Amino acid sequence: MDPRQRELRQLVRAAQRAALRLRLNETVARSARLLPWPLLYATAGLTYLKIGRPPETAQTWLWWGWLLPWLVVLLGTVHCWWRRRPREMGALALDRHHGFQDRVTNALAFLALPEGQRTVFMKLAVADAQAHAAQLKPRRAAPMCWPQELWLVGFLLAGLGGLAVLEVRTLRWLPVPPAPAPVLLAHDDIELFRKLSQRMQDQSQDPETLAGVHKLNQLLEDLAERRLDRAEVFRRLAELERQVQSRSKEDQASLAEALQSVARELEHSGLSRRVARALQQRRLDDAEKALRELAEKLKKQRTRPSAAELEKLRQSLKKASQATQGRSKRLEAERRRLAEQRKSLLRKKREGRLTPHEEQVLRDTERRLDRLDRKKRTADRTREHLSDLDRKLGQAAEDLRRELGQAAADLESAAEDLNRLARNPMSQEEKEELLRRLRELKELLRQQGQGGNKRLQRLQRFAERARGRSGQSGQRGQERGRGKNRDELWQSGKGQGDRALVLGGGTSEQLGREPSGQREKPKSPGSPSDAREPGTGHNEDLRGDRSELGGKAHDVTAAGIDTGDGTASSQVIMGAAQRGFAGHGYRQVFQDYQTVAEEVMGQEKIPPGYRFYVQRYFQLIRPRE
Amino acid sequence: MTDLVEVEAQKKAEGFVERINQLRQQIGRVIVGNEEVVDGVITCLLAGSHCLLEGVPGLGKTMLVRTLAEALSLSFSRIQFTPDLMPADIIGTTVIDETAGGKPIFEFRKGPVFAHVVLADEVNRATPKTQSALLEAMQEHRVTVGRTTHAIEEPYLVLATQNPLEMEGTYPLPEAQLDRFFFKLHVPFPGREELHTIIERTTTRYQAEVQRVLSREEILAMHQLVRTVPVARHVQDFAVRLLQATHPEHPSAPAKVRRFVRTGASPRGAQAMLLAARIRALLHERFAASLDDVRHVAPPALRHRILLNFEGEAEGIRTDQVISDLLAELPEVQP
Repeated sequence: MDPRQRELRQLVRAAQRAALRLRLNETVARSARLLPWPLLYATAGLTYLKIGRPPETAQTWLWWGWLLPWLVVLLGTVHCWWRRRPREMGALALDRHHGFQDRVTNALAFLALPEGQRTVFMKLAVADAQAHAAQLKPRRAAPMCWPQELWLVGFLLAGLGGLAVLEVRTLRWLPVPPAPAPVLLAHDDIELFRKLSQRMQDQSQDPETLAGVHKLNQLLEDLAERRLDRAEVFRRLAELERQVQSRSKEDQASLAEALQSVARELEHSGLSRRVARALQQRRLDDAEKALRELAEKLKKQRTRPSAAELEKLRQSLKKASQATQGRSKRLEAERRRLAEQRKSLLRKKREGRLTPHEEQVLRDTERRLDRLDRKKRTADRTREHLSDLDRKLGQAAEDLRRELGQAAADLESAAEDLNRLARNPMSQEEKEELLRRLRELKELLRQQGQGGNKRLQRLQRFAERARGRSGQSGQRGQERGRGKNRDELWQSGKGQGDRALVLGGGTSEQLGREPSGQREKPKSPGSPSDAREPGTGHNEDLRGDRSELGGKAHDVTAAGIDTGDGTASSQVIMGAAQRGFAGHGYRQVFQDYQTVAEEVMGQEKIPPGYRFYVQRYFQLIRPRE
Repeated sequence: MTDLVEVEAQKKAEGFVERINQLRQQIGRVIVGNEEVVDGVITCLLAGSHCLLEGVPGLGKTMLVRTLAEALSLSFSRIQFTPDLMPADIIGTTVIDETAGGKPIFEFRKGPVFAHVVLADEVNRATPKTQSALLEAMQEHRVTVGRTTHAIEEPYLVLATQNPLEMEGTYPLPEAQLDRFFFKLHVPFPGREELHTIIERTTTRYQAEVQRVLSREEILAMHQLVRTVPVARHVQDFAVRLLQATHPEHPSAPAKVRRFVRTGASPRGAQAMLLAARIRALLHERFAASLDDVRHVAPPALRHRILLNFEGEAEGIRTDQVISDLLAELPEVQP
């Protein structure tokens, strides 16, 4: 390159670099002047956040507001950078620094002119500047200066950092969350259900029922501790009911299916066809009867079937004994197949090769696996329940080859198993009882919810009296019981007719026993009274007349005479009304009346609402300890 | 070819500097110190314009002009302005004369203004009428008497002096006349050492001989040469903005100008600044005028062209203060 050209380039470049540095300097200075503003805002805002603890909306506005000063900084910086500056800025800085008396500036100004317009002196001026080009030092001519405001910025940053880590503890009163309205169930009722639940637990061996009882116990515990609100209690009751019902239904369905498969095998033999048909129609009693008849037939010589028939029977029995197991195996095979399918699809998913269709297939497979697992569990339970029957049928099939008598015994044993199944089909009754208790509890809670606190208080007072802890009730009872004179007769009902329960006062233990002659005989069957004297007998027919839904009252007149032969039921009842429902005597009387009441309710058509009240009544007057 | 021209131009510039240095040297034999005043006067000479010297009596103003005239091969005349001086006393008059044959003729006898270098001493003592007689000669370089115009030979330099002390009986120069002076130079009181030198020179038998160093043709050539010195756009722009800022009604005028100045400088002020900057650049062996040159010549070029208002005069504000404030505030370059 021509030296002159090189020098010219040096001139130009030096001036450009100096100009750039000056621009940068100014921009940094401007930024430094503007930076304190967002930092001041941040300091003020952080202080407010720490001390004032404003709500979330205000905090959001505060954060957004912080953008504004930053925007100002950004715009100010950008404006300063892009602001128009004199072209000669860099060259002047060089001239000033080196003392060149505008040689560089003038030279660049003349160089900007077209060649034809440059005079001799202009060229000389350019040459003069070129001669000094090598000495030019843009870095020194335009040194970078740290703005003084940076100290303030540093100080503010440090202050902000300190403020950020500072923890200001302020007392804040948190509103007490409203406690859920506890469901109040009288302690007495909780005790009742606890006892019922304990009884079910003692009697049942079915794991499903026991699990349900355990959950019921938990619920009762929570109710006693008043931890639950009304919605939660009903939700848990509904869930428990649903679980018990579904399990019960599943087991029933599985049992039916198993018996169907047994029946299908037994139908192949003419000898066991009757059994098969009874099983198909789920008439376990008839199936048991048919099986016993078959056993009898095998025992007796004259009715013994032919060899061919026996062989057919043997095969049917053998296949029937394997039917339940076969079902389980089929389910297991299906389950394994689905599990394999799921495994391969999951592997594909991990590798990222799963298509949308395959993803849907995976979801379906998982759902089917869940259902199959449940089905298999139910099938296993069914197999367990039918294991004895299966074993005995298989044993009978084996014994048919050797000893018909033994085979007959096996069939009789199988018939007994059928009998057991009929009586206790996979603990269906236990589940039914649990369901019944759950419904009772639900209805009780609903009734008490409608009654409110006053009703609850009344129930609590009643429970206290039932335990014999209040003297008031006794006095009141006595007044009611006695009337004006202790020896006066009680009359209940209409009193004028010939049906009235007349109870005498005094200490006679025979009081309350109706003389058989005066009592109207009930229509229901019952042994006639064999009382020798009035008041000494006892009519075992405790049911009395059939309930009349028409709402008419039957007044019965009975007169008890004190014979001195022990406490009459009426005395026990009256005593209980006065002193509470405790004592062995009352327990006996209560059990008698309750049994009758349940029988009547089971036999007669009573609306469910009425049924509830009767049950509730007996619950309330149940014996206490 | 181009290089040859450049070389020649460079030689001319170098010759210029050398000759002026010689002139300085000759003047320095007589005048002690006052380099700035001497440079100012030389600048006015090279600009082909006039200079106003202001200073207390006895500072050598007249001596300077006389010495300058001696150093140059130029005619010199001195006019002592007095209150009774008439215009005809300075420009000349027509007299009746006889020819060789005895025929009476009217002959114009040229006045003292018809010299190359005219010293108008204490110009503020003459009446405005007389002062204005000098005006035409200074501006036009000619004098019209009757119907006849008499040209004044170039170069023509009027150096006027005025005494700031004697305000009574003086006639301040009008603005129009002031504006025709290229520079107004303050002649300062000499310092201690300078006084010693002055006394030694003037109270002894010391007699300095001034040699002629510049001819008329050389001066005229220098006039042409200085006008070839280029001024970059940004330098010219600075001079223009400076001029504009002296006007109180202009948006760029600073507060002091708005407050104390009645009238700003005329465009002659910008012409004077730029021409003087060219001359200064050349004298400093540079080929183009710089911003510093403009800064340097701005005070002598503008101080007599800025008129203060009553408040400014009452406050004792000097125009030099206004000019220095302007130079400090005005940015050198603008986008």
